[in-house]
Amino acid sequence: MSYYEHTIIAKHDLSTADVENIKKKYSDLINKTDGELIKTENWGLLNFANKIQNFKKGFYIHLKFKGKSSTINEIKKRVKLDDSIIRDLIVKYKKLDTEKEYFSKNGKEE
Amino acid sequence: MKSKKGKFNKKSQNPINKLSLFQKNDAKFMRKCPFSKKDAPEIDYKNVKLLKRYISENGKILPSRITNISQKKQRELSSSIKRARNLALI
Repeated sequence: MSYYEHTIIAKHDLSTADVENIKKKYSDLINKTDGELIKTENWGLLNFANKIQNFKKGFYIHLKFKGKSSTINEIKKRVKLDDSIIRDLIVKYKKLDTEKEYFSKNGKEE
Repeated sequence: MKSKKGKFNKKSQNPINKLSLFQKNDAKFMRKCPFSKKDAPEIDYKNVKLLKRYISENGKILPSRITNISQKKQRELSSSIKRARNLALI
């Protein structure tokens, strides 16, 4: 078991309920496949520095969790099939820093 | 008397108070690595403010001979800059 961080960029034209659904979907998937969700962050709608597939902005969702390689494989499969996700990034860590939040604005996140 | 002039001179020599122009510059102004100090900031791909200090106007990564970052930290920095680029944060 090791620690991971997963960042998802979703399309900008989704409603807030859809964004919540995506978050729920992936946090459930982590918990199902021998993983353990530690923290979720909602970075909100951010402007891209450069265009991605002709999109200019997107919703950022950040998940911190503990898991095995099987959870990572499962997530990668799902993300490929998901149409509402533009891009994602998974980073492995030895230690997770759960306190710092670089994208918290107005104390809005949960 | 006991006087080891050669050794003593080298240590006390400052580049400012050189005696002549042709004297060799032994002590240089070496800045230390900004990430190897005590309570230095951690390099992370989410910390966009920090990463932006170490890229040029065109978005290229600055070489360590300009920023004086140690080899190990430069490797960390470049990988985290590439991660941030991939997420279109920089």
